Amino acid sequence: MLGDVFSYLTDGSNWSGSTGIGTFMVQQLLLTVTALLIAMVLGLPLALYLGHRHHGGTLAVNVTNVGRAVPVFAVLLVLALGPVGSEQFGPYGRAGLATLIALVLFALPPIITNAYVGVVEVDPGAVEAARGMGMNGAKVFSSVELPLAMPVVMTGVRVALVQVWATATIAALVAGPGLGRIITRGFANHRTYEVVAGAVLVALGALVLEATMALVQRYADPMRRARVSVTRSSPTAVGGPR
Amino acid sequence: MRIGRVLGGMVAGALLLATAGCGGSDSLEDTGSGDSTGSADKGSVTVGGQDFTESQIMAAIYQKVLENAGYTVQTKLVTTRDVYLPELSKGSVDIVPDYLAGLTDFLNSEANGADAPLVSSHDPDATLQALKPLAEAKGISILPPSDATDQNAFFVTKDFADQNDLTTLSDFAAMHQPIKLGAPPDCEGRSDCAGGLTKTYGFDIKEIVPLDFASAQVKDAVKKGEVQLGETGTTDGTLEDLGLVLLDDDKGIQPAQNLTPAVNSDFIDANPDLEDVFNQLSAALTTEDLADMNVQVDLERKKPEDVAQQFLEDKGLL
Repeated sequence: MLGDVFSYLTDGSNWSGSTGIGTFMVQQLLLTVTALLIAMVLGLPLALYLGHRHHGGTLAVNVTNVGRAVPVFAVLLVLALGPVGSEQFGPYGRAGLATLIALVLFALPPIITNAYVGVVEVDPGAVEAARGMGMNGAKVFSSVELPLAMPVVMTGVRVALVQVWATATIAALVAGPGLGRIITRGFANHRTYEVVAGAVLVALGALVLEATMALVQRYADPMRRARVSVTRSSPTAVGGPR
Repeated sequence: MRIGRVLGGMVAGALLLATAGCGGSDSLEDTGSGDSTGSADKGSVTVGGQDFTESQIMAAIYQKVLENAGYTVQTKLVTTRDVYLPELSKGSVDIVPDYLAGLTDFLNSEANGADAPLVSSHDPDATLQALKPLAEAKGISILPPSDATDQNAFFVTKDFADQNDLTTLSDFAAMHQPIKLGAPPDCEGRSDCAGGLTKTYGFDIKEIVPLDFASAQVKDAVKKGEVQLGETGTTDGTLEDLGLVLLDDDKGIQPAQNLTPAVNSDFIDANPDLEDVFNQLSAALTTEDLADMNVQVDLERKKPEDVAQQFLEDKGLL
C-alpha cells in the first residue's frame, strides 16, 4: 500500500499534463494565496479599525462567525451553478472564480476575529501612556496597538492560510481546480493509493505553508526587533552571563 | 458579504430540505393502496422495485395493470436490488419491473462471484438467454423484455450535431477531433464509457472532466462548449429543451437495459393469464414514453400514479 503510494508519487507521468499533480498543485497554491490576500485586504483594515475604535467588533466577529456555519461546499455549488458559473478562470482552472470566492469567504472569519481581538486586547495601560505622551489616534495605532497586536493578527492569517489550503480540495466536487481532484479520482476508480497520495500531498503542503508562515511571522513581528535592539544596546548583553 | 452569506445559508437550507424530501423510505413499508378496483378479485399481488423516479412510474403502471386485471395490489419500493431480489425469489414480492442487463449482471455475480466475466451485452436477445437460467435457479421467471431501454448514452449540442450532420457516435468519432468528455469520475477505462469510446469508436479523449451522470453540471458544460460530449441516460427527457441531443450507440458499447418484468415463478405458474397482460404492456412501452414520463414526474412534479394512469389510458391498456 505505502509502496504503491510512493511509486505513484515518484512516477513523473503522474505529475505532468492538464490533469497531473503538477497542474493541480499550482492551481491549489494560486487559489490559496490569492484567496488569503483578498481576505486580508478585505478583512484586516476593517477589523483593525474597529479594534482601534473598540467599537462594532462584536458585530463583525459574529457576522463572520455565521459564515463559519455555512458549509463551503454549499456556497461553492450555488456559485458554480449560479451567476458566477464554472468556466475556466485563467490559471485557476475550471470553476476557479467560484472556488476563489468561496475560499475568500472561508478565510475571513479567523482573520477578522484575530485582528479585532488582537487590537482590543492590547494593554490599556500602554495605550493610556501613549496618549499621555501626546500621540494622536493614528500614532497610537501604528506605534503601540499594531505592534503589540501583531502576533495575534498574524496567527489569524496563519490559521486562515492552512485552513484555506486544506479546504481548497473541496473544489473537486464541482470538477474544479486543485489537489482534491487526485483524491476524488482515486476514490471513484478504487485506487486507494491515489487517494492516500492526494491526502499526503495536501498534508505536506499544509506543513510547508505552516512552517513558511511561522518564519514570516517571526521576522514580521515588530516587538521581536524591539527586543533584539534592546538586547544589542544593553551593555550587559555584550559580556553576557555564561 | 453579510447578505451574501445569509442568502447562501437560505439556499443551502432549501437544498437540504429538498434532499430530505426526496429521501424516500428504505424499509419495505407499504406505499401502495390496498383497495381493489377489478371485477372479480383474483387474489393479492405485491409489486416490488427500486425507489427512483423511473422505477416508481413503472411500479405504478404495473399496479394499475394488475388492478385492472382484478388483483388486489400492494407496492413495496426499496433502494437496491439486493433488498428486493431475495423477496422476489421466495415470493413475498411477486413481480418487479427490472432492467435486463442490470438484473443479469447482478444474478451472474451472485451465482459466479464478483469477478465472473459479464454475460450481459448490447444484444437484448443474447442477454435474455444468459439471464433465463440464472433467474430460473432463483425461482424467478423473466417475461419478454420491452423495446424501451434505459441505458447510458452520450450527447452533444443540437447545433453541433446539425452543423456536422451527426446522428451516431461513429459519425462524431470519424471527425477525428480531440475531445473533452464530461462523465462521472469512474468513467476512465470502462468499456461502457471512456474505454469503449476510445477502443471501439476511436475517439481521442484528451481529458475527462468529472461531472456526474445526467447532472445539471454536465449539461451546462456541454452547452457552454467546455466539453464536447456528455453522459446521461436514454430516458433523460430534459435534453430537448436544453438544445442537446443523444448520439446513437451504433457500435453497441452499452449493455441492453431493456425494461423487463421479473416474476416469481410459482406466482406466474398460478396466474398464467398475466403473461398476456404484461406482453401487451411491454410491446406498447417505448424509450420515448419513459423519457416523457420521467420529465412529467421530475420537472412537472406530477405524481407517478397519475402519470401511469395517463400513459395507460393513452395506450388503451385500461
